[in-house]
Amino acid sequence: MPILEVKNIKKKFENTEVLKGISFDLEEGQTLSIIGSSGSGKTTLLRCLNFLETPDEGTITVRGEKLFDGASPVTDHKRLRDCGLHFGLVFQQFNLFPQYTALENVTLAPLLNSDTFSREKIIENGKHLLDDMGLADRMFNYPHQLSGGQQQRVAIARALALEPDILCFDEPTSALDPELTGEVLRVIRSLAGNHTMIIVTHEMAFARDVADTAIFMDGGIILEKGPARELINSPREERTRQFLSSLNS
Amino acid sequence: MFWTVTSSLLEGFAGTLKLFFLTQIFALPLGLIICFGSMSRSAIIKYPIRLIIWIIRGTPLMLQLLVIYYGPGIFLGVNVWGTDNGGRFTAALIAFVINYACYFSEIYRGGIQSIPVGQKEAGIVLGLTRRQIFFRIYLLQLVKRIVPPISNEIITLVKDTSLARVIAVYEIIWNGQAFIKSSGIIWPLFYTGAFYLIFSGLLTVFFASIEKKLSYFR
Repeated sequence: MPILEVKNIKKKFENTEVLKGISFDLEEGQTLSIIGSSGSGKTTLLRCLNFLETPDEGTITVRGEKLFDGASPVTDHKRLRDCGLHFGLVFQQFNLFPQYTALENVTLAPLLNSDTFSREKIIENGKHLLDDMGLADRMFNYPHQLSGGQQQRVAIARALALEPDILCFDEPTSALDPELTGEVLRVIRSLAGNHTMIIVTHEMAFARDVADTAIFMDGGIILEKGPARELINSPREERTRQFLSSLNS
Repeated sequence: MFWTVTSSLLEGFAGTLKLFFLTQIFALPLGLIICFGSMSRSAIIKYPIRLIIWIIRGTPLMLQLLVIYYGPGIFLGVNVWGTDNGGRFTAALIAFVINYACYFSEIYRGGIQSIPVGQKEAGIVLGLTRRQIFFRIYLLQLVKRIVPPISNEIITLVKDTSLARVIAVYEIIWNGQAFIKSSGIIWPLFYTGAFYLIFSGLLTVFFASIEKKLSYFR
């Protein structure tokens, strides 16, 4: 059984239909990359999965549990929060909390969501995660004291701390200077295999090498999907070819 | 004479300080409530609150003092404030609190709206409740942003307290002016300026230290 089943997700803003029926499955431990030009609906799709937007139609099922059903959308705040916790999201702009240290950013939500009983364990786990991100010596720094690449790695640790079933990345390196993208991509690469991930990215080489499957989105639909290497190296659709060659030119 | 004047002015300044501190104690939290009202999703709450803010910010504080003190007697035929000093002080306090709460609410609103939406979204994605997002994420960032404009208002408030004398609330200028009639001297009135200066100087130092305390993050 796939860990994630997305069926016929539709989303309209005012009069523009941004998602026109998106369906895909994802197996546990697999990495999916979503590519496509800006305005194709990639980010909106991620935001729908993370309950930052409410789809107009469709269903989202994780491990067989239907988290969202457009036919009877949940309005209860508590239930919405619980559903959202199945997903983690790493933002393009990091969105770290400036008044907290790197470690506090990572532990804030777990500490607020749990009892004091596990406090020490949560802090230990936070330190461990930052260590994995190569930030052992940066735990007590505030976000403004960190480079963009370091901030994004803190943001990844923060998302991992809640142990989401599926970790999503929304163009995680787009706001970074070119020389800083490498360190972030390396960290994401190291997570592949152990985590189920969805990555919206413009880094085609990265998408090809790290992802198992890839989706090409265009105008709110999935135009092409398949094994990542195949889709990016030899796309079937003319529109996908156009998009990929426009990146190389 | 100097000591007589000084002790009389100190007495008046005590009235000034009482009005100043009580206004802040009530206006700072009330401003936050008005702010939430003016940002409410419900039009029935939002528009009446915005109307009130417009009226209060659009008319002189001196006029508001007069309306609150004399209004009930003129329009309702009841003297709610009594005839003693305490009643006049209460009326002045209410006028000051309403006036300053409206100004504060707009400063809060500006502060809240200047916090990037990504902060809230990060909180949502991390499963925080709306209350946790406000208190754990927004509040300190908000305080940092509003310290400079709020300190501006609060220093204005020190001086605005002198308006209370239009409804005969005893404060320092009232006492200073009394010497013109009683002793025929005007310098006590000018001397009051020193009290304002010293006090606003202390406030400036106080707010600078808060700003410094919050400079550990950006």
